[in-house]
Amino acid sequence: MATINATISVSSDITGYGTQINNSMTMTKAGTVAGLEQATGLVRKTLTSLNEVDLLVVGAGVVEDVTATKAAKLYIKNVNSDSSEFFTVGLGKSSGTSTKQAFAVSGDANRCVELGRLYSGDWMIIPWVAASDEHDVFVKPSVATTMVIEYMVFFE
Amino acid sequence: MATTTASLTITSADLVGDALSLSSTKELHKAGTTVGLDQTTGMARVYLTATTQLDIFPVLPAAPAGQNLQSWVYICNKSLDETEFITVSIAATDIGLLYAGDFMWFPWSQIAQKADIEITPSSGAAAAGIHVDYTCMHQGITYPTSGD
Repeated sequence: MATINATISVSSDITGYGTQINNSMTMTKAGTVAGLEQATGLVRKTLTSLNEVDLLVVGAGVVEDVTATKAAKLYIKNVNSDSSEFFTVGLGKSSGTSTKQAFAVSGDANRCVELGRLYSGDWMIIPWVAASDEHDVFVKPSVATTMVIEYMVFFE
Repeated sequence: MATTTASLTITSADLVGDALSLSSTKELHKAGTTVGLDQTTGMARVYLTATTQLDIFPVLPAAPAGQNLQSWVYICNKSLDETEFITVSIAATDIGLLYAGDFMWFPWSQIAQKADIEITPSSGAAAAGIHVDYTCMHQGITYPTSGD
């Protein structure tokens, strides 16, 4: 059993009262206090087209053991420096290829959902439920010039 | 211009053969700029006692104010019982499960009619009652009107 700690700190003067978020979590297996003990390693990927590209495919590749009943945490970072360029991050049905369906409405057979945009230097951390191909994780670069993304999954 | 800085550190001494340490810090900017975000919902804390799925950030209209603007969402399960979790979803697609003490931080696109963020307590969490914290820092968001 490994011990993996994640600490977030957010400070802001948006309001006159100030905002502070300081929190830590130990990544554990679902419903237990036992630590996660597997990881993909930090993946670095260079993208050079506007195609949607799968980062994680449910039941496949290095995360094939992750299921809906197992805990997983996903970290993603846009490591580029141009503040106008971004990756759109989404969840959606995977074709198993590097080209995916466009964003579609709920109920569409090829449905996918846009979470948000990571601009230069932005990072995110979310739990990941690998329940079906609607939960594949993909990114879409905003430009076709070279963009680099890094990501890592910690899982049960 | 406000300055908001978000940092994350992930460490482990025993996950892999060598110590792992990953740190990232970023100022939060308006979309495509280096201008800081200037709005927030403030930090909310709710106490939930049912397994009902709730919109903490509601269904957005056809042309939401925040679409294509930048927003960041923080959610934390404040339970101390490791068996209690909440399921976090967007537009009815589950993102993941937050167990006791878990948090998440992610950008939110506020896509029209397909971007409401929902939380659903597990049955055990609902039975015991569960606190959840959440906030959004943004450059524009759509609030319900008096006619809604």
